[in-house]
Amino acid sequence: MTKDSETDHDHTDHTTDRTDRVATAEATVPPSSERTTDLRPGADNCYKCTACDTSCPVAEVDDEFPGPKFQGPEQWRLKRSEDTDIDESITSCSNCMRCDSACPSGVPLSQMHNTARGEYVEGMSKLSREYVRNRILANYGRLARIGSRVPRLTNFVMSNRVTKWFNERLLGIASEREFPAFATQTFGEWYEERGGPQIESEDRRIAYFHGDYSNFNTPEVAKALVRVFEAFGYEVVVPEQRCSGTPMFANGMLEDARRAAEFNVDTLSALVEEGYDVVCSCTSCSMALRQEYPELFDFEGTEQVAAHTYEALEYLRLHEDLDGALSESEVDGEHPELAYHAPCHARNQGLHRQALELFRELDGVAIEDVGDSCSGISGTYGWKSEKYDYSMEIAEEMFEHMEDADGTTGLTECPTCAMQMEHGTGYEIDHPLEVIEKAVV
Amino acid sequence: MAISEDVVVIGGGLAGSVGALSAARTGASVRLISHKESTLRHASGLIDVLGYPNGGEQPVVNPFDALDELPTGHPYSVVGASGVRDGLALFDEITGDLYVGGHTDRNALVPTQQGTVKPTARYPRSMAAGLASDDREMLLVGFESLSDFDAPLAADHLEAAGVPFESRGVTVRFPADLRADAKLTRFATALERARTVRALAETIEPHLDGAERVGVPALLGEDDAAAVRADLESRLGVSVFELPGGPPSLPGVRLADRLFEALDSAGVHVSTGVPVVGYEAEEDRITSVLVDRGSHAPHPYHAREFVLATGGLVGKGIDSDRNGVREPIFDCHVPHPEDRYDWFLDEAFGDHPFARFGVIPDDELRPVDNQGDPEFENLRAAGSVLGGANIAAEKSGSGISLATGTLAGRLTREAI
Amino acid sequence: MVDSPEVLVIGGGSTGCGIARDLAMRGLGVTLVEKGNLTNGTTGRMHGLLHSGGRYAVSDQASAKECIEENRVLRDIASHCVEMTDGLFVQRPEDSDEYFEEKLQGCRECDIPVTVLSAEEARTKEPALAGDVERAISVPDGAIDPFRLCVANAVSAEQHGARIETHAEVTDVLLEDGAVVGCEVRHDSGSGKRVHRTPGTTEEIRADYVVNATGAWAGQIGELAGVDIEVRPSKGAMVIMNVRQVDTVINRCRPKGDADIIVPHETTAILGTTDEEVDDPEEYPEERWEVDMMIEELSKLVPILRESRTIRSFWGVRPLYEPPGTGTTDPTDITRDFFLLDHEERDGLAGMTSIVGGKFTTYRMMAERIADHVCEQFGITADCRTADEPLPGSEDFEVLQDHMEAFGLRSPIGRRSTQRLGSRAEEVLTTDDPNPVVCECEAVTRAEIQDAIDQSGTDLNAVRIRTRASMGNCQGGLCCHRMANELHPEHEEPTVRTALDELYQERWKGQRHALWGEQLSQAMLNHVLHGTTMNRDRDPARHETVNFDAFDAGAPDSGRREEPDGD
Repeated sequence: MTKDSETDHDHTDHTTDRTDRVATAEATVPPSSERTTDLRPGADNCYKCTACDTSCPVAEVDDEFPGPKFQGPEQWRLKRSEDTDIDESITSCSNCMRCDSACPSGVPLSQMHNTARGEYVEGMSKLSREYVRNRILANYGRLARIGSRVPRLTNFVMSNRVTKWFNERLLGIASEREFPAFATQTFGEWYEERGGPQIESEDRRIAYFHGDYSNFNTPEVAKALVRVFEAFGYEVVVPEQRCSGTPMFANGMLEDARRAAEFNVDTLSALVEEGYDVVCSCTSCSMALRQEYPELFDFEGTEQVAAHTYEALEYLRLHEDLDGALSESEVDGEHPELAYHAPCHARNQGLHRQALELFRELDGVAIEDVGDSCSGISGTYGWKSEKYDYSMEIAEEMFEHMEDADGTTGLTECPTCAMQMEHGTGYEIDHPLEVIEKAVV
Repeated sequence: MAISEDVVVIGGGLAGSVGALSAARTGASVRLISHKESTLRHASGLIDVLGYPNGGEQPVVNPFDALDELPTGHPYSVVGASGVRDGLALFDEITGDLYVGGHTDRNALVPTQQGTVKPTARYPRSMAAGLASDDREMLLVGFESLSDFDAPLAADHLEAAGVPFESRGVTVRFPADLRADAKLTRFATALERARTVRALAETIEPHLDGAERVGVPALLGEDDAAAVRADLESRLGVSVFELPGGPPSLPGVRLADRLFEALDSAGVHVSTGVPVVGYEAEEDRITSVLVDRGSHAPHPYHAREFVLATGGLVGKGIDSDRNGVREPIFDCHVPHPEDRYDWFLDEAFGDHPFARFGVIPDDELRPVDNQGDPEFENLRAAGSVLGGANIAAEKSGSGISLATGTLAGRLTREAI
Repeated sequence: MVDSPEVLVIGGGSTGCGIARDLAMRGLGVTLVEKGNLTNGTTGRMHGLLHSGGRYAVSDQASAKECIEENRVLRDIASHCVEMTDGLFVQRPEDSDEYFEEKLQGCRECDIPVTVLSAEEARTKEPALAGDVERAISVPDGAIDPFRLCVANAVSAEQHGARIETHAEVTDVLLEDGAVVGCEVRHDSGSGKRVHRTPGTTEEIRADYVVNATGAWAGQIGELAGVDIEVRPSKGAMVIMNVRQVDTVINRCRPKGDADIIVPHETTAILGTTDEEVDDPEEYPEERWEVDMMIEELSKLVPILRESRTIRSFWGVRPLYEPPGTGTTDPTDITRDFFLLDHEERDGLAGMTSIVGGKFTTYRMMAERIADHVCEQFGITADCRTADEPLPGSEDFEVLQDHMEAFGLRSPIGRRSTQRLGSRAEEVLTTDDPNPVVCECEAVTRAEIQDAIDQSGTDLNAVRIRTRASMGNCQGGLCCHRMANELHPEHEEPTVRTALDELYQERWKGQRHALWGEQLSQAMLNHVLHGTTMNRDRDPARHETVNFDAFDAGAPDSGRREEPDGD
């Protein structure tokens, strides 16, 4: 991992022709008055302390990216209403949102980035390789729905060298990456097979927002959530749902995100009305529901869903005595040493130390923090061939700390961070819910 | 379920961090709540104790000799010389070989990127070879695209200050092909590759011309700074040092990282990303602070003792509008002139009243109300949220944070 | 009769620079002297409105007609200084229908194109408008950068052979045989470009004719010449917001009053204004109530203003004039028309004319009248060409806008640079050297700073008005020293330091009126950066000698040669 970052990256191959505003079938794009949010007032909060730039993992390795301050408050402040030119470098932002958690002054940085990226992508050629590739990556869930119908075949095809070559050359998807395998039974199928909720409760009821990944790829995480919450006496319902939108925001596919978000808000707000809280096992999903939806959309019920959305461990710590339960439990030797990485999206929600705090009190488990760097994959960022090397360079610190850790098991709440951790070290990566399941179920 | 600790410290800067570490000394459970990254990360990384008491223009050699001259109401008059020493001792323990200065009480004069020198009590080891009282010939090296630092100008400025050595400056192109708007962290990361250090040495070498030490802006590596500097020194065969500047400021980032490691190994629970927005109290004791967890209703964090280390006007521990100045969490008394036109002086570097805005502590560092009585029995304040000092003019900010943070932590653990 | 007369123009505001350009283009020899920077007086202290004439359409139709005429001219010749924002006259529930109709009628009578917008249409055009506004009249108001316009006029004058001397204060008017024959000026730092710390000099500039274009200061020049010019300076306060809350000029549709206009100006919005007669154009109170009133009153039109960040406030003095004996008491009633005072006719003093009154939008027309008058004195018949020939920077600007992503600059830096430089962009921005952004708030690169330094020497305030560097939200806290660094090595360290101190102090001056909330935090950050981190406030280079030997010279293991003496 001592890639020569100064010279080897090709900065030009993803250049898009921005003047080529090809009209496409995106007929659902609403007129611009509904679409553009004026975020200039957000620049009022900035006093140029530059904490955002210093915290940006991308700017540290890729000088094509001019940093969150430029792409955020500075760019917005320089805007006149008719200006639509967004610098291409907005596509280099990985949407890790570290700038949000750095800014001491409340500048809505990621909202500014998301909005600018949406505007940029709107002006992109819908026929460009980059657009097509980003659209595919952003809509992982749609493909997964198809792929998981024939999981073994899909897994075979996706791990095939020919497929990888094709992906790299035609789409710009990094051939170094292994496509995550589809489970032979999705979480949804399992949940249906077991007959839905096993407990019914008026006062302890949650709606589980599992996201696409734990449904199609890591159903064991989702199952762990159900079992843990049931162990605490909760009724767990699993509503129909779409992707949280996280990968869509990161790729500027705001219309795709809008459609997904509208569906989710519609479904979840109805459940909130009935007294359910929304619980996520993925910190990016909870971030989307809590922060990005209210920042970017205003469907009826958006705020209400945000106010009732929690990450799973957070929920149990706030509403149950999870700390007490764990300190009185122990697990057998299956998880001797856990190398824990806190996902960037956990930070803004105040969650990035919770697994450490909990598992330090749990007998039979040793947990080690692998540092506060970003994992570098940031959802879809590390999947792009032109970003792969940067992604690995960002992750270097995390990999080193993982290598230094005593065990060979990693731990994180975020599925794509888990992919990166596994990719860089070959460790098996668990989710905290799986550890809790072993302790309390 | 209630989140509960013995001590909650609000604010993750220098004062909050040492406060938490000091409170955790005897095994108390401590939670530090830091909304966002602290202002420490864009500070210079120097630890000033006292440079210019009472508006003086001549730097004091020994800050401990000058502490007595400070007016009542100055935070140092509450903690006293022993408090300052306690703070520095804790700091030295935390930072180990990352910092120098503990060998003497005297101030060091550290050259800045501006070409000024400034008095400070502790300085990062990476700046040690640059001291202005050292008479070795100096070469300053700047980089074309970094407009903050003009090395030839800074060298001339040092000579204008009458430093006891010859100083020259040169501007070179950074030996990696970075864009003109590359961030400082990008330079630092590039230098963590041996290849770039080698190229930098080759770039500087022809300009050495007898200089015995070389100064560059503070960008010699982020995570691996000591190794980068050592490598550059061995290639050049002379001492290398960094000049403070910023923001952005990597020495500030490095110090913040070191403090975080110390907090982690002391078992302090750290919550970040969530602001404290209010409190619950019974009579004159705070029972919990309310933490805004994003979209949710504020959640109480319980403790027996609380430390307020939220910073000053920059850190937003002190807030203002057209009509007044306040401490936003507990609404502690912040004395200030009624007319906002009395908050400043007309000279840019005047002794501005706003620079002294902050809460007023009693002799146990408890913020007092306008009658002089403690606002709460179990709330102490530390760092820039305290009023009464013009830290920019005095060069006293870090020292006040260390001394008051350490004392607040000690009083807190004694109170439990 | 002189063949090629030499004319001395006093005053480097829009009028003076406009006159200098006009005369130089007609082939006359011109020297312009200005006691401070260009725009130092009233020109640099206005809200930047390019009038459509709508504001005068009821009360002063002659002025209104001149405004719309000149509005059209300036869009053409000064396109890189003008942003056609459009303007709205907005009616609130408490504003009278009658006045609204009068305004509409007045605009039509003055040939000002108008459209009436319903409340909903007005809010579609300008989403920040209050929910309870009734309706609006849309007019072709615009925004204009007075600094850029004034500098462009001076540059054009220079290109036509004029000599422009800034920081050259008139200390005496030279009289011979009952006629004005020139002036004595004191150059702050020698003649030519200003360089700090260069000793001042005095010069007698002889001229065949003198034009006093000093606006509110005209009386002071008059006094030196022994004539009475009763200018009635009237102050107006303006508050600068950090961002543009609006992209359209917003006027309150009611009869004259304070705090009734918001102008989107470059990256900011400027709130204006007040109108109060003052005795001295330089010494008058700048008061809190004026700032507060601006925010409170204009929040009724644009509510977000109440919670928004202001970065500074400033005051300007209108050079109002009325002929002796008119006796108007309220300054708002004094005409905005301009007056040409030929002192030969008026006072029997040959060789000098003063121009007073008037307004920025019609500066060119005023300059043309004066230039005609001067030419008449010498029987010169050359035509005025200032209405047709674009100013430097405004040639082929439309073509250039298509190429503003060039110069290796990111958008919006390239866009903003081009908006400021106009057709000079390529000449200024093309460089083989790294061209980092020096002022991040306003997106000003090193190349543009260097170009401004070439024009104006070490005067960083002159660099500022040319580039907008240090005019953003940090008010120079993060970039003043970077700008100063650009002066080296052409200028020596002490000169650079003095220039930096001057700019920093100037930036502080206006910020004092915005010190609460975000800007107070910014001020403290700047104070800590320049004081704590840089020690600029107690810089040993400016104070007495420091005894370096007495301080810590390093730990015993530091590798330096000398052993430290123990404590």
